[in-house]
Amino acid sequence: MAVTLLSTVLRIPYRLLKVFTMPEDEDAKYYHDDPAWEDVEAIPQDDGALHPLAAIAYTDEYSEAMGYLRAVMAKNEYSERALQLTEHIISMNPAHYTVWLYRAKILHEIKADLRKEIDWLNPTALQHLKNYQIWHHRQTIVDALGSPKGEADFIAIMLKEDSKNYHVWSYRQWLVGRFNLFDQEDELRWIESMIEADVRNNSAWNHRYYLQRGKLGSEDAVARELEHVTQYAKYAIRKAPQNQSPWNYLKGIVRAANLPASTLKEFALEFADVQRPDDIYSSHALDLLADVYAEEEGSRDDAKQALELLATRFDPIRAHYWQYRKSLLEGQAIAA
Amino acid sequence: MAPGLALDAEESRLNYAAHIRYWRRNLKTFLPHQFTGNDCNRMTLAAFIISALDILGDLKAALSDGEREGYIDWVYRCQLPEGGFRPAPATDLGAVRSRENQIWDPAHLAGTFFALLILINLGDDLERVKRREALQWLTKLQRPDGGFGETLGEADRVEGGNDSRFGFMAAGVRWMLRGNLEGPVDGVPDMDVDALVRCIQAAETYDGGLSEAPYHEAHAGFASCAISALHLVDRLPTSTPDGRVRGLNNLPLTLRWLASRQTLTLDEEDAADTYEDETDSSATCHDSHSFMKLRDYPTTRGKLSFIDQPLVHAELKWVGMNGRENKIGDTCYAYWVCTPLKLLGHLDIVDSKPIRRWLLDRTQHLVGGFGKLPGDHPDPQHSFLGLMVLSMFGEAGLQSVDTALCITERAKQHLESLPWRRKLLAMD
Repeated sequence: MAVTLLSTVLRIPYRLLKVFTMPEDEDAKYYHDDPAWEDVEAIPQDDGALHPLAAIAYTDEYSEAMGYLRAVMAKNEYSERALQLTEHIISMNPAHYTVWLYRAKILHEIKADLRKEIDWLNPTALQHLKNYQIWHHRQTIVDALGSPKGEADFIAIMLKEDSKNYHVWSYRQWLVGRFNLFDQEDELRWIESMIEADVRNNSAWNHRYYLQRGKLGSEDAVARELEHVTQYAKYAIRKAPQNQSPWNYLKGIVRAANLPASTLKEFALEFADVQRPDDIYSSHALDLLADVYAEEEGSRDDAKQALELLATRFDPIRAHYWQYRKSLLEGQAIAA
Repeated sequence: MAPGLALDAEESRLNYAAHIRYWRRNLKTFLPHQFTGNDCNRMTLAAFIISALDILGDLKAALSDGEREGYIDWVYRCQLPEGGFRPAPATDLGAVRSRENQIWDPAHLAGTFFALLILINLGDDLERVKRREALQWLTKLQRPDGGFGETLGEADRVEGGNDSRFGFMAAGVRWMLRGNLEGPVDGVPDMDVDALVRCIQAAETYDGGLSEAPYHEAHAGFASCAISALHLVDRLPTSTPDGRVRGLNNLPLTLRWLASRQTLTLDEEDAADTYEDETDSSATCHDSHSFMKLRDYPTTRGKLSFIDQPLVHAELKWVGMNGRENKIGDTCYAYWVCTPLKLLGHLDIVDSKPIRRWLLDRTQHLVGGFGKLPGDHPDPQHSFLGLMVLSMFGEAGLQSVDTALCITERAKQHLESLPWRRKLLAMD
């Protein structure tokens, strides 16, 4: 900790860089003494004259490898050794945007085995959990392979590291759309298991919404499916009434089905009643009731009471917002 | 002890001297090699460094004239003959760059957006910017769905992601180089603004947030970029329709979602405990909820996390902001949440005081700058966005900022005063 803090504070001024040398990494890979690369002349980075901005104290290894990358890119070389070089660069700088495009082009030109590419991508993604380019590349490869085989298993490993990893969930949605997995029992069972493990995982709730929303395409479908689509969220809310994710899901489904908020009034009353402020089990139920009462003939005072309870007792962190909502109701009253 | 002293010690304050030292260090010394993963984001980091010093009122003092010109030249070295900028010298193929290999060294949207911001900040007149070429290139980056990519690849294929970050930066480049004029300017076609607005609307989520793409999870970063983009192309919702396609579809719901980003989950420990624990205790629940009543304990683990918790937990001295539902507060989300609120004219639906205290007392670092979470080391992104928020809240001593462009009002006025721009916009 102290050492990293020190490196944050004590930095090398530009003019002294040549005096200090970077520690040598024993495993570092160099190209200048590699016979396989002797025909290539590296293109060093040109950082201008005296005043580069946001310059980085590169390691010798990175500087040299980048010089060779620029050289093979300049020649449009598509070869096995260039492929390995992209791997080396990615291990040090996975956010290099053209190295991924270059790699995809090499794979195509040398007709590489794309299954092997996936085998390499798996550990690479685990090393760089927050990297975006890896997922874009994976999408290109899996699209070309034409099969989602093995992908669910890999996603499970990634989500073990971070169950709310945005890139991974986005990729899962792409898989569902690309291979039409909406009605697969496996997909629904999987998402329910994710919610069981952490009922507050909003990414999982969002994915469930994505799978289910298509079922409410027509009035007939709403009449037939609504109960089924909403009962799981109701079950989850009864478990943890103060968890906003399933409330949002539930209200979203009702809105998507073009039904009024009052559809959920009875359910909300299980958790809150403005007449009994000492028996409130969920601020989100109060919020929903405020919406319902605002739309209901002659219930404006109840709506205001719900918002007042939120501002003063049950959700004071958002007091300004609830007061704003209340002022809107008062404005309406004046206008009427 | 004098009574005033105790009060002073309690008061949260911005440590100016430390922030200035932090940013000057970033400007004048090498970033450590751990930044290698940001090698292709150097233009972005540079824009944060220059703009932060400007917000702190130190930019003039920090630079000699020679340095200022040297930095301007460095930015122009990243401009490409065909228009637009690369985001760093890393991809520069030098003397051997040609039509055949330039796809590996292409103009880059973030590179271009931040290069222009740096030039403006440093007082350049943008006369050396290939403005027509850049605007022409910008229209080619737009995809059929209205969204923007990052670069043009082989056969002009649009490469890179397709989320609101790119729409935001494209709208920013357009605004800087041609203001709010719609339709062709100077023989250069406009982007399809209607399509951009529709693309943003398509990424609105069921809970009122905005996401990376249709049906992805609501995320404050994408919400902020989307709303900033609408602002820059003058398509925010208005109370009276004017016949133009405007966002958002459900403004009240979006305000509710943005207000919901205030959280009391401020430490890793607060965030880690929700796994397999469905109780509403303050350990698992995020917004001072433990004064809610609990009917029964669903699990043993739930019971353990609930007992010993105060039933009234209304400690609102420090309030954080998160980027998604049920996530931990994070310095940068204060920017990503407050920006759309400000642009929508509703910054007053959050209480700035406890948010300010959270930034100053919890994520401000003693060496200057801000970390992501309490106790984290500062980094340029969080340090810059933290300053942006404090300026937005009117922190005494900070220069006022243009929230969407991330530069000071002073720098923005410089751009607006440039003769070529005034002429283009018929302001003279």
